Amino acid sequence: MCNYNDRDGALMGQRVALELDLVKGLRFFDPHIHMVSRTTDDYQAMADAGVVAVIEPAFWVGQPRTGIDTFRDYYSSLIGWERFRASQFGIKHFCTIGLNSREANNEALAEEVMELLPFFVYKEGVVGVGEIGFDDQTPAEEKYYRLQLELAKEAGLPVQVHTPHRDKTKGTSRSMDIAIEHGLDPAMVIIDHNTEETVREVLDKGFWAAFTIYPFTKMGNERMVQIVKEYGPERIMVNSAADWGISDPLAVPKTAALMVKSGIAREAIEMVCYKNAVAAFSQSGQLDEAMLNAKDRIDQGKKFEGNSILRGGQQPRRDADSIVIS
Amino acid sequence: MNDSDNHLKDTLSIAHSEHFGLIANRIEQHINGTEWKWLLNNLNDIADPQPQLVARIFTTIPRNIRSIDKDLYISFAEEENIGRNQLPLLVKDWTLVRLIRVWVLMHIPARDQAGYVRLIEQLFKYGEMEELVALYAALPIYHYPAAWRLRCVEGIRSNIGAVRHAIMIHNHYPSQFLDEGAWNQLVLKAFFTDEDIHNIVGLKQRNNEKLAQALVDYAYELHAAKRSINPMLWILVAPFMDARAYRLMEQTS
Repeated sequence: MCNYNDRDGALMGQRVALELDLVKGLRFFDPHIHMVSRTTDDYQAMADAGVVAVIEPAFWVGQPRTGIDTFRDYYSSLIGWERFRASQFGIKHFCTIGLNSREANNEALAEEVMELLPFFVYKEGVVGVGEIGFDDQTPAEEKYYRLQLELAKEAGLPVQVHTPHRDKTKGTSRSMDIAIEHGLDPAMVIIDHNTEETVREVLDKGFWAAFTIYPFTKMGNERMVQIVKEYGPERIMVNSAADWGISDPLAVPKTAALMVKSGIAREAIEMVCYKNAVAAFSQSGQLDEAMLNAKDRIDQGKKFEGNSILRGGQQPRRDADSIVIS
Repeated sequence: MNDSDNHLKDTLSIAHSEHFGLIANRIEQHINGTEWKWLLNNLNDIADPQPQLVARIFTTIPRNIRSIDKDLYISFAEEENIGRNQLPLLVKDWTLVRLIRVWVLMHIPARDQAGYVRLIEQLFKYGEMEELVALYAALPIYHYPAAWRLRCVEGIRSNIGAVRHAIMIHNHYPSQFLDEGAWNQLVLKAFFTDEDIHNIVGLKQRNNEKLAQALVDYAYELHAAKRSINPMLWILVAPFMDARAYRLMEQTS
């Protein structure tokens, strides 16, 4: 969901070699990533880098949907095929279900989507309503944001709030005010895509502050390091929001590595790259620490009786550095 | 429905209700008293199956029954096999949630065929991964058994390994109800996806010449790619062994 500004390479800071050894042994949870838009190479690289679980929020898939069936199939893929695909790489896949702000503007369709949502929000592994909130900040966006806050309340689920790119600071305040107006506990609401400009208010009001490390348009991770230094690790979490745009599915482990290099304590790194997201979304009752620790029995690959090809994390590897494909 | 169908249905429902107790015992052992009550109350409610209600119960089993040991996998001994439509239900390495889900499905009354089929199909349409596995594993226990052929064929096309496994392995439905073309696709796909071929129910009874020919073609393809050939393939080809098949078997064994 971004426009790329031309940027002068010289202004993009010093290149730091990818040293994931710095974070060896750490486990990562990326609480916002759109895996439907990513390849198996990404899943493998994520598993190698220590990503053990992800949350995939329902979002805008790059072009507007024109019918209810494509919404249903999309939601179904989040709780079906994508969940299985992740399991093949030993990664636990959770999702949040909701009507994104852009498509809330197609009111006729939005009405139908609202009728569909209750069929999905109670499913296993659905850890929240999301990503919902404002984009252009239209009346229609506000209407469906409010309706979905009520749905989250009824289902006892956390809410994952997308904050707008344009007029962000005001849009973020407004999103929080409306959530409070609807009686949601700020501890059940994750405000996403924060910046230096929004973080103070979000934390002061008792919400979770998520930061999206996304090249060019959102946060860079050097800025993220500064934020953790300034605000500490409480109620802060890092995600990649990697999708169909130029984004980075390793944003969480890379940010952790940069934090190690910058001298941030390991405990703080674990909080912002793993524990806080687990704590926030485990309020759904659909996710807990034990689940993330459990070694998937062969069951996930659903390969019984000695056939191990699909055991978690043991997908056959292709050799990307060879021109021979066999 | 004619008289003999009615008679068949009656005998089966007697056997069916006897099996209910068996499953009930297994479930009750593993969950706490409150959850067991929740389950029984809900089963009472679906005696009048309102689609929304059935969907809600079916979906929220893991939310409402939380004392389940997630590492528990249940198998029934051969003589405990349960089922209606004369098709035994084979329970092998099932999670307790899967067993409960199938048990819930067994409680949905037959009523009229159109309404029953619509209700079950709705569950398929909105199913998440584990729900789909339970729904397909339950193929032998649905009423109107002939009505699920296309659903079964569709499931075999699934890209989710667990879903295919639930249909292909330890499941009596496909061999009883699929036509030859669909059956052959099931077996070929099972080879392609490295399933436990010998646990496909009806493998020998449904074996046929067309399948054997397709398997020989497949074996040649594997040989050309220098990939290994599952020995089970030759067992199916054996009754229809011709010179071409024999040549390859000799080369590769």
